[in-house]
Amino acid sequence: MNRSSWSKPGRICLVPLALLLAVMPLFLAGCWDSVELNRRAIVSGVAIDRGETEADKYVLSFQVIVSEEISGEKARGIAPVALYTGKGRTMFEALANASRQTARFLSLGHVRVLVISEKFAREGIRDIMDVLERESDTRLTSLMFISKGQPAKDLMSTMTVFSKIPANDLVEKLETTSKQFGYNYRLEVDEVIRGIQLRGGGPTINGVQTTGDKENAGSNDNLKTIAPKAILRITGLAAFKDDKLKGWLEGETALGTALLQNQVKEFPSLVEDKEGGFIAFNVYQSTVKIAAEGKDPEHPLIIVNISQQAALKEGPSTLDYSNPEVIEGLSDRLTAETVNMIQLAVQEARRLGSDYIGFGEALRRENPRGWNRIKDHWEDIFQSCEVRIKADAVIRHTDMRSNSFQVNN
Amino acid sequence: MTARHGSSGRSEAEAAGGRREGVERRISPVLGESLRNIQAEVGYSPDIKIREVRLGSSPGIKAAAVHLSGLTDTQALNEFVMGSLLQNTDLLTDDPAVHLPDLLLGRALEIGEASIMDEWHDILIAILGGDTAIFLDGYTDVILCATRGGEWRSVSEPTSQLVVRGPKDGFVESIATNISLVRRRIHSPKLRMETMKIGSETRTPVVMMYMKGYASDDLVGEVRKRLEKVAIDEVLESGFIEELIQDKTITPFPTIYNTERPDVVVGNLLEGRVAVIVDGTPFVLLLPAVFTQFFQSAEDYSQRFDIAILMRIVRYLSFVVLILGPSVYIALTTYHYEMIPTTLLINLLSQRENVPFPAFVEAMLMEVAFEFLREAGVRMPRVIGQTVSVVGALILGSAVVEAGIITPIMVIVVALTGIASFAIPAYNMAIAGRLIRFAFLLLAGMFGFYGITLGLIVMVAHMNSLRSFGIPYLSPFVPLSVRGQKDTILRLPMWLMNTGKSPQQMRAELPKSMQVTTGHEATLSPAIQKNEELQQKRREEDSDEQE
Repeated sequence: MNRSSWSKPGRICLVPLALLLAVMPLFLAGCWDSVELNRRAIVSGVAIDRGETEADKYVLSFQVIVSEEISGEKARGIAPVALYTGKGRTMFEALANASRQTARFLSLGHVRVLVISEKFAREGIRDIMDVLERESDTRLTSLMFISKGQPAKDLMSTMTVFSKIPANDLVEKLETTSKQFGYNYRLEVDEVIRGIQLRGGGPTINGVQTTGDKENAGSNDNLKTIAPKAILRITGLAAFKDDKLKGWLEGETALGTALLQNQVKEFPSLVEDKEGGFIAFNVYQSTVKIAAEGKDPEHPLIIVNISQQAALKEGPSTLDYSNPEVIEGLSDRLTAETVNMIQLAVQEARRLGSDYIGFGEALRRENPRGWNRIKDHWEDIFQSCEVRIKADAVIRHTDMRSNSFQVNN
Repeated sequence: MTARHGSSGRSEAEAAGGRREGVERRISPVLGESLRNIQAEVGYSPDIKIREVRLGSSPGIKAAAVHLSGLTDTQALNEFVMGSLLQNTDLLTDDPAVHLPDLLLGRALEIGEASIMDEWHDILIAILGGDTAIFLDGYTDVILCATRGGEWRSVSEPTSQLVVRGPKDGFVESIATNISLVRRRIHSPKLRMETMKIGSETRTPVVMMYMKGYASDDLVGEVRKRLEKVAIDEVLESGFIEELIQDKTITPFPTIYNTERPDVVVGNLLEGRVAVIVDGTPFVLLLPAVFTQFFQSAEDYSQRFDIAILMRIVRYLSFVVLILGPSVYIALTTYHYEMIPTTLLINLLSQRENVPFPAFVEAMLMEVAFEFLREAGVRMPRVIGQTVSVVGALILGSAVVEAGIITPIMVIVVALTGIASFAIPAYNMAIAGRLIRFAFLLLAGMFGFYGITLGLIVMVAHMNSLRSFGIPYLSPFVPLSVRGQKDTILRLPMWLMNTGKSPQQMRAELPKSMQVTTGHEATLSPAIQKNEELQQKRREEDSDEQE
């Protein structure tokens, strides 16, 4: 705007006119994607089940937060979340169907948990992952779970003690178990997608199930007793080949798998005592490096290097822990225990025919050209390739005591 | 009394005088006639006091002292003017070769400042300013004695820009006192002042003050030129002048700094700025002013430098919170709910459950209510002001939440922006932020963060277009000068800062394309141009009338 035009009487009306023209479109255009918070239904978790027929292949259950029940003063004493289910030939159709039942817009921006039923997982989750990646509202950081042996919907409708929102409870449980004792670890949507793309392998996804009285799991009654009637719990790891579930990993096999994937923060490891009973260690650091020698890609050598640091947590025996030789002996047996776990994990992976532990990746990094030649029949090579495990464990301390008081008795 | 007149102002006054019939506007050698003329000119105002005396032995020479009661220093008038006039009678002779006014001025009058004048208009203005005029029968020369004085508010602590540590004296309404407050701090012959009278009716003394050698000649020339072009009837406050000499009127951002603190004026004079002191107001203008200056406080230099840096960061942060606080809340809740942490979102959801208005309306209501409160608090008599703030803050705030009209979080956001606006040391920058906040609120309500981002881009572009007397408003950030950062967000230790840079140096460091020459017609504000045209028109009308 030329300054002098302000003072010319003939043109002064241009300014308000121009302003008016500039402002009018704002009101005409409106605010089409603005939604007030009290028009939104925040979805905390989504369960994806396989319907009976192709027409309702996708059965989506949305766990919607009833915010007033959680932090409002005017709580009515109803359930803190509500479950809405929609069916359809595609995910989007199912979402559309579900939103017919809700008074508000189903908002997926805060979905923290996605549970896929085991039935669906055995059939393949490829198509589901496309939607989750494409949809702008959902997050790639949502956590994935596979419901073990029961419909995923059940898991979305179990009342939980600590967090009023079951989905949040599940997240917290996972975080607790992965920090302290477990082989389960945070697994987000984008990691699952990357796992599916792994040639010859697949992702390993946390399993979850409800144990106990499943009938009353969804009611407040579930929480009225000191021991909850039904409990939502994290179970083993679901091992995938490509996008299909092949089997469940439990116990030491699962732990070995998690170790190989470098996902374990802390775990208890037991060594059998010569006098009977066990000596327990807390392994608080565990680093695994998988390398490959692949000059001949048809016969690669996979080298697993694992180094651990542990603390003695439970030693009710007459061993002299102040003697370095005793500690060294124990650490050797700890090492053997770890090697055993890893061998179990490798065996299981071979049995399921899926390289979800990433040996193929190690080979590809080592010899990319060779990998390109053999990647189509990597499954066969994986079954028979030589695996060398180099383990090393150090016992750093014996916690508050050195020798047990039992030594002097 | 050497008065520089705005050229247009004088012709205006003359023209105005020409309109009044029956008053002869010159000094008559006949004393009575002159006195009558004076009284007629001011409309026989009761505060014009005329003391007629006879000098020397009888019959003596008729003389009269004319002054305005209330504006004169009575003690000076009695002792040094009247006393010395009536006591030194032995000097008087009947020798016609002796020029009596010169004789009295040279040998009789004991007052420190006096002069002889024969211009009717100047004498009249001097009397109206508080001087005493001595008319002598038979002479058209009049002795003017500087007896200005009278009652003024005494120097006290400034009411704005308070400091915990630092000088506690503030400017007052008297220009002479204000000048002395600055003089007391700079014992240097380099301190220069130029006086002019602005306002065709008020004839308000305005002093332009600068340090010779520190302030660039360009700048001083430009300020002088702009001040001379100011042509209005009244100057009641420095804001009148500010609006007419600033570079751009259509902007919320202040481009001239004002202060009540003499130490701030001194500091800025030594940085090469020009101060404009206006009689009748404690607020002194400082120019040129850049954006960062409005976030500085005198205390920054009294406290340790690391603490000063922290305080400055807090102030900039408060400005950001002030302009963006409510709009970010609106954008988050109505457009980008996924950015809110889940637990907080649930909390917000349950708060919003029964609130009837959209968040935007809610924010507008609260912000407007807050502006009501603030305006009421500022304008109310002090006694009531307390009540207003209690009623507003406590009762309105909590009642509105309990009634379920506004969400508690909205009250928090509005309170936060309110407090943030008080953390900005310069009041004019704070009110600019308050205005801009509403624009951002509107943008956020319509477009979310997208709108806020667009608004920010426009705002920064606009700030870049601003100049204050040729200095880019965002300097030393844009154009970037690394050396200039010594005293912006940072406040380096004194020994690293040295003395600041003069605007001339600042300008010299700019890239060629950014060098703006002052003293250019185009830099004048439209207001000045408009004013000039108006003045020209009036002059023409007046001359028509006279003919």
